[in-house]
Amino acid sequence: MANSMIERAAAATPSVTARRIRGLSDRAIAWIFVAPTIFLLLAVNIFPLIWTIRLSFTNFRANRPNAEVEWVGLRNYQRILTDADIWATMQATAHFLLWTIFFQVLIGFALAWLINRKFRGNDLWTTIIVLPMMLSPAVVGNFWTFLYQPQIGLFNYTVAFLTGADPTSFSMIGDVALAPWSIVIVDTWMWTPFVMLICLAGLRSIPDSIYEAAECDRASNWRQFWTITIPMTLPFLMLAVLFRGIENFKMFDLVVQLTGGGPGSTTELTSINLKREAFEKWRTGYASAYAIILFVTVFGLASIYVKALNKVKER
Amino acid sequence: MAEVELAAITKNFGRTCALDGVSMTVPDGAFVVLLGPTGAGKTTTLRIVAGLERPESGEVRIGGMPVTSLTPAQRNVAMVFQQYSLYPHMTVRENLAFPLKSPQLRTPPEQIERKLREVAEMLQISHKLDNRATALSGGEMQRVSIGRALVRNPAVYLMDEPLSSLDAKLRADLRVELKGIQAEMGATFLYVTHDQTEAMTMATHVGVLDRGRLVQIGSPREIYENPISIYAASRLGQPRINVLPADLFAGAPAGAKTIGLRPEQIRQGEGEDSIVTRVEHLGDQTRLHLSFRHHALVTVTDPHTALRSGDVVRIRPERPFYFDASGARVH
Repeated sequence: MANSMIERAAAATPSVTARRIRGLSDRAIAWIFVAPTIFLLLAVNIFPLIWTIRLSFTNFRANRPNAEVEWVGLRNYQRILTDADIWATMQATAHFLLWTIFFQVLIGFALAWLINRKFRGNDLWTTIIVLPMMLSPAVVGNFWTFLYQPQIGLFNYTVAFLTGADPTSFSMIGDVALAPWSIVIVDTWMWTPFVMLICLAGLRSIPDSIYEAAECDRASNWRQFWTITIPMTLPFLMLAVLFRGIENFKMFDLVVQLTGGGPGSTTELTSINLKREAFEKWRTGYASAYAIILFVTVFGLASIYVKALNKVKER
Repeated sequence: MAEVELAAITKNFGRTCALDGVSMTVPDGAFVVLLGPTGAGKTTTLRIVAGLERPESGEVRIGGMPVTSLTPAQRNVAMVFQQYSLYPHMTVRENLAFPLKSPQLRTPPEQIERKLREVAEMLQISHKLDNRATALSGGEMQRVSIGRALVRNPAVYLMDEPLSSLDAKLRADLRVELKGIQAEMGATFLYVTHDQTEAMTMATHVGVLDRGRLVQIGSPREIYENPISIYAASRLGQPRINVLPADLFAGAPAGAKTIGLRPEQIRQGEGEDSIVTRVEHLGDQTRLHLSFRHHALVTVTDPHTALRSGDVVRIRPERPFYFDASGARVH
């Protein structure tokens, strides 16, 4: 009986030669399937990266491709890291990042928490709240310039209505002190829904029975929130911070539409600054070094963060 | 510890009626087991006592106080959930300490530690105290969840099939252990189970639920020896009570439609012939499957019996139960 079973199993298994297609081994077939992706990755990611590293040690200018290229060593890096303007840009970016993440996580979590309570029409509310996220950043930037208009802008009007100040007495985009906040507000308006969705997924992952157990264990709502809701949604919150952090580090379109980096260079984030160096001043070598520095920074921060995230998830 | 009273509790989920006018009293220090198949309303009863569900009508009283409108926290009940409901992001120690760390209680840390060590010892999870709650086997999770209730000293312990996912040996150990705790502390237990051994060995009272109605409540012996219906009779007893047409044997009272025979109500060696169809040796007992006038029945016989399938055994009912057409007991 056992013998016949083995024989049947053997008969049902296709022979090695039958599995081969026109004399190709399994391994070769696997390579054929993977090759296009690998080729594409090499062509559009790896090669440009290596090329950029190479350029960052030269004074190459892309608008003068035939001019003689000089090897300058680490001079580009040295100049960037000692440039006060670039440090100011970095600082503006850091502020932008911290405040947008702070507001988006705070408001996003609060909204998710409210939406998660079972009430009629919460699906409809979710859809309405998520709308800004679906718009193009260029469109959002454009219409917020109207909202920020001192004479006709709805934003100025609303603030004036609430505080009693004159709506034309301040200009969100034109004022040096207010301009950084203008982009924080728009980014928060646009991307809070995204954070809310992630938080909502986190909140919905907590089974009701855990809250019921806590209820029987005589934990107050306050204690349930801090000992159950927050720790159990923390991995989701951290993921939201990671996504928003990476996205906002390369923030470009929205700010270009809204303030164009101004007034002066108060809202000139690194990506805008970099674009200026590379494609307005055409200092390709210098811009390459700049890009490498940014890349290393983001990569370093992200990997530290992902390690922390994994630690939280393991709990 | 306190007495728990349910007065005419009705609970619907949408259009299905989960509980239909259930009234019962769990006396102070009693161990009441609710028996019934899935959907009979056992868990719902427990959740209503806990305060996790609000009844449509009726009143719950704990220690004489109406608690129907109170939250679970205000009722001071400890509940063991069937699906464990451990706090997954905490260690076993943190899970056990959670109910004691309630800010109102202000239990000193060394007292918490002592209490949870004691409980962990009893439940044989001392070596797992620093494990994550998610890094445990099903049986260990269930023990932690029992432990989380036992660290407290509530008005009533509510347990929803707490031993269902343990292996047989541990289940037997914990059965004795839980019963011991209950007797020692004089604690009030309301306990839901499918397992009739648990009901028979632990309960001071058994409540039989049938589709949202409490059909009988009494001591396990009372329910076993004096069931009010076929339904109640088939909840207890292993092998199950045999239900046969009443006219199969002589002497059925008027109105009796069926006769109920527990193994001990079948006298062997006297009466009429039946054929042995199967013999099951279980070690401590032997089950005899008989065919009596083309009706199958199961009884118990001597563990060392020489009977074999095909043999003829004479049987006679002895003080049997009789039930009418609706299944209610007539005699």
